[in-house]
Amino acid sequence: MKRLFRGLLLVGALAGAVVMVKSYLQRTDSPGEEAVRIVFDDGSTRSLASNTVEGQEFTDIAHKVLEIGV
Amino acid sequence: MSEGRISGTESNAGGAPDGALERALGDLRALSEDIESCSVLSPTGDLQYSSHGPGVERARVAAMLGALVGLAGRSARKEGKDLASQVRVRTEAGHLLMVGLEGGGTLVATTAPEARVGLVLYDMRNARAEIKKATGEVG
Repeated sequence: MKRLFRGLLLVGALAGAVVMVKSYLQRTDSPGEEAVRIVFDDGSTRSLASNTVEGQEFTDIAHKVLEIGV
Repeated sequence: MSEGRISGTESNAGGAPDGALERALGDLRALSEDIESCSVLSPTGDLQYSSHGPGVERARVAAMLGALVGLAGRSARKEGKDLASQVRVRTEAGHLLMVGLEGGGTLVATTAPEARVGLVLYDMRNARAEIKKATGEVG
């Protein structure tokens, strides 16, 4: 019984560690998905990721517009 | 989804022939069935056409679209460019697409998330001449 409890404790600790490492890596390394693409009059483009302030400004308004339509 | 026919509200700004803008946008929606709703914003930020019925506050829609046009303009200035000619915004709810019109207006459309956005933008760009004609803009 003691052995089983110790095993379960070990598995739980390992699972917790995996979740923590995964969330840490996602938080620090994720570049953010491209949410906005702007094409300028000279043909050049600029992409904004969803996790940038500028990208978020576009997506926040766009989301509201999409809710009600244009 | 798109019904292929616009039942929207048009304000006859810019001396456009009656219903010409509605017809031009109806043709666009018939061609590009992924478009769920569309509107035309004048160079001064007035909503010249909205595919919405009268239930939706035109002023609210115009303000939100004006804000997006303003953000695009700010991005252009930041990059040292004159204008943003096309903007695509992807959200969980779908895509919002904006194409600049000759003379400074903006054509806006919304689509579902799974829409073929490239094709919709192509059709929107091709519709610009007809919309320009319909709005009676000189340019």
